Amino acid sequence: MTLLAYSIEWFLGILLITSSLGVILAHKPVHASLFFLLSLMTLALTYLELSAEFIGLMQILVYAGAILVLFMFVIVLFQDAYSQISQFPSNSSFILLFFAGSAITFTMIILGILLNGFKAHNAALPDGYGSVESLGRFLYVDFFFPFEAVVLLFLIASVGALYIGKRKE
Amino acid sequence: MNLSLLIFFSLGMFLIGIIGVLTKRNALVFFLSIELMLNASNLLFVIFSRQWGNQIGLAWVFFVLVVAAAEAAVGLAILINLFRTKQVVDIDQYNNLRG
Repeated sequence: MTLLAYSIEWFLGILLITSSLGVILAHKPVHASLFFLLSLMTLALTYLELSAEFIGLMQILVYAGAILVLFMFVIVLFQDAYSQISQFPSNSSFILLFFAGSAITFTMIILGILLNGFKAHNAALPDGYGSVESLGRFLYVDFFFPFEAVVLLFLIASVGALYIGKRKE
Repeated sequence: MNLSLLIFFSLGMFLIGIIGVLTKRNALVFFLSIELMLNASNLLFVIFSRQWGNQIGLAWVFFVLVVAAAEAAVGLAILINLFRTKQVVDIDQYNNLRG
């Protein structure tokens, strides 16, 4: 099997990893959130590639359209506050952080090696897989109670966010 | 479709998110790293949903998206409140609960 056989997966994956690295390596928070936007768009492309149309569209609408704009507003509020971080000494021990990071990396590598023999099943997809219609039927018929619970959760979350963000007199 | 390759990339993304949570001191980038981990798990849901041709995974991704939106709204409100009281964004300085 040549390398070019899975060129789309390689392209999407490398873009995903580099943009995620950009999120944690960027110096300014604005650049980090722009890298995050890039990784979100790549994820949406991957979802479309995996024939999950509705989820791909939702990814762009909810994440890039709502959550990232919220982040941008908060970054504007904080402005240059990130540059004062270097004034304070770090509270966490560097050696402990190094051990934790290497332990997690090691676990992930072992998990990756275990997954090496994973075979794609390539089951025949049902009609209308991932379309708005079939997923909507799924949500409103099979998942009706969790769906309504999520609506209630969202209402409580928005009221709570308003209450927490309110300036106390 | 080579799904195992995408699983590897999803693992890498989750790993980067964990490293970001462990090492970053800027509260906003800390938050973005958590969102990265949520997105990596979403990608895994979609991959395995495709693998078995079953749409339950997609329904769960929808729920994760909604909960992530609620979490971002509440979390950012808490962050703004913290910034108002302490005037710093360094999470090492947020030690009120330890007294």
